[in-house]
This record gives sequence, C-alpha cells and structure tokens, in this order.
Amino acid sequence: MSAVGSSNPEYVVARVRARRGSLYGDEEYRKLTRMGPAEIARFMEESSYGADINALGSRHGGVDLIEYALNRNLAGQFDDILDWSEGSLYDLIARYLRKFDAWNVKTVIRGVYTDADQSAIEVDLIRAGEFDDRRIRRLLEADSIDAVVEVLEDTIYGDPLREAHAEYEETGVLVPLENAVDRAFYERLLSGLGNDEPTRQYEAFLKAEVDFRNAANALRLARSGADIDPAAYFIEGGELFTRGSLARLARNLDDLVEYIADSQYGDELGPALRELEEAGSLIAFEHAIDAALLAYSDRLGTIHPVSVTPVISYILAKEREVENIRAIARGKEAGLSADQIESELVIT
Amino acid sequence: MLEATNELGNVALQAGGTLTDANAAAALAVGLAALGAGYAERGIGSAAVGAMAEDDDLFVNGLILTVLPETIVILALVVVFIV
Repeated sequence: MSAVGSSNPEYVVARVRARRGSLYGDEEYRKLTRMGPAEIARFMEESSYGADINALGSRHGGVDLIEYALNRNLAGQFDDILDWSEGSLYDLIARYLRKFDAWNVKTVIRGVYTDADQSAIEVDLIRAGEFDDRRIRRLLEADSIDAVVEVLEDTIYGDPLREAHAEYEETGVLVPLENAVDRAFYERLLSGLGNDEPTRQYEAFLKAEVDFRNAANALRLARSGADIDPAAYFIEGGELFTRGSLARLARNLDDLVEYIADSQYGDELGPALRELEEAGSLIAFEHAIDAALLAYSDRLGTIHPVSVTPVISYILAKEREVENIRAIARGKEAGLSADQIESELVIT
Repeated sequence: MLEATNELGNVALQAGGTLTDANAAAALAVGLAALGAGYAERGIGSAAVGAMAEDDDLFVNGLILTVLPETIVILALVVVFIV
C-alpha cells in the first residue's frame, strides 16, 4: 500500500476479476426483490457479505443492518484493493477512491452542523478512502467545524476548507464548505495523469463521469426551476460543459436535453433522454447515466486487460451492487412491489 | 557500397569485434530466451498468485500457466544441439 515501486496491475487485476465473479447477477436480484428485509440479510450472510452481517448483527437489525453491512463490505473491499496495489497503479486507484474521503468529510461536517451524536455520524461513514482510522477518529471527535478544518489541515482539503470556512462564518450555510471539498477532490482527480494509452482511456472515463455529474446537476436545476446559480455547482475538468454554457443551458430544459443529445454521449444517453422528454423521469435518466458509465468502464476493462481500467470497472460494479441491494431493502421496507423495485435497479 | 561493407566486415573480423564462436552464440541465444521467459513468468506468476489468493482451486491452473513460458527456453535449447 504505497505509491513507490513499480506498479503491479497483473496481481490486482487477477484478484479483482475473481471478486467480480462473485457479484450478484440477474438471478440473485430477482430472488432478492421477492424477499423481506430479514430474508435479504440471511441471503447476504451466505454470500460474500457474511462476515459483515455477522459482525454487525448483534448491534443492528432489519434494514439498518443491511445498510451498515453493505457500507462495511464496500469499505473493506476497496481498502483491500488499495492494500494490494503499488506504484502508479496505487496512485490511479487512490485518485478515484478519494471520493469516499470527500463523502466522509462532508458527512462529518453535516453531522457537526446538525449536532448529531458521534455514533450516528460514525455509521454513515464509508471508510474506503485514504484516511486512516486515526484521522477518522479525530474527525469524529471534532465538536465544531473549526476543529474539523484543523484535523484536515495537512490533507488536500486543508487549504480550500480554510478559505471556505471564512465564508461559512459569514453566511452560516454549508454550501461553500461542501463545494470546497468537492472541488479539491475533482482537481486532484484529473491533474498530472500519465500519458500511456490505458491511462488516457482512464482519463477519458473520469472526464465522462464529471460530464455526467454536471449534466445531472444541470437537469435537476433546470427542472426544479429554483433560483440557484448553476455555475456554483459546476465541476471543472469535463469536456461537455464550460461554466458559462452550463449556466446558460440550465435555464431551459429543452435546450439542455438537445445539447446533450447532440454531444458525443448522445448514443449512450439517447434512449434515456427521450424518456426524460416524454415522461419527465429524472430518476430514469440518472440510472441511464450510471448504466452508461458502467458499460463504458466494462468496455475499457476488456480493451486494456492489464491496466487500471478493469479495477475501476470492478469498483463501479461493486458500488452499483451495493446501491441496488440498498434500493431493494429500502423499497421492501416502504412496501413497494417487486416490479417497482426492479425498475429502480441498475443492472447491465 | 558493397565493397565498402565487405571491407568493413573484414576490419571488424580482424579486430575480433563480432561473435564468431558458434558455441558462444548458442549460449547467448539460450540465455536471452531464458531472460524473456523469466519476464513473461513475472506477470503470469503475480496474476496466478492473485487468483489463488481468491480461490484455492485455481492452484493447478495457475501453476500450469506460470510455467508455460518455460517452453521458450526448451525450444532455445534446440539451438545448442544444432550448432
């Protein structure tokens, strides 16, 4: 687990491919949508989630148990991947997994802001990023936003957070802090990437993700019609939008849909965009984005079998699986029918 | 042009700069083949160990795949018997 030495994609890819084989398929999802929360937990116990269900089973129950076991498993798997990888491979994977650090920082800040108690924040953290247990503990012990900023002083979030903190003290809203964290993450994500073919493909994939994120944000803003400046939510690094074009397009839904349909992503997102125009279903569009990203990373993984791309493709597939199981469990809890839940899943 | 090349060859031979001993050349060929096999096994070996760590049943497959590049060296050994 270090960024020194030569990279070892062969080893990591072999392990990751073996794990990919044990992800749930269509058949398992079909079974899961017909189970209650307790049965889902038992089903998970017999698969790769066994250790996590057992570790948390005494403290939690029902849907909470499923949710925390999913988070714990996700964190464990991604930590493993970082453990195995060395050299430039570690750097490439850590770039992507830092989004969980960003998620954790945001969760802690929100928790402190709303005075949530420590254990409530702790269960919502996903310990998959680069932060070690010590830093997370110190983050959890922080009792003010000031203290959180101080704990993160020596990380990439240090400087942007300190600047945003001044703004937060003036306005009292969290948006500047959260934007600072996101921006620090995305800046690091795309800076200083190598120049060999798989890395270029990886960069194209990351850019597509940034583009999709921008598109989803813009669509949400355009539909809500709220008076929010879209430029404030703009994420740098993508190719589809500039800050100016996003601000302009987010005012009109039809223009925006047309713009995306004409872009290089038109083929992948075309059906979802048509559905968006007809039924106005933003959720279907977001699922289409997820599915398109997943398919894209899968394709990259087969084009460059011994590189970072199969690892990223596994990371995405695992995230989708966790989200799918969570959707099933929550849907069951809310009493949705199996068909309704199935429409919520992202399966490729 | 051709004469010049011939001339150059003669000069090189006299200076002893080229490999003229057939046995030495064969030894070099086997050595280089072994180097290539070693490099191939490095990648396959680490992938095989990774796969075995996930699933013990892959031990036999991993072992077979790991030693496959060894055939390169065996083929190169043929050179030794021909010269």
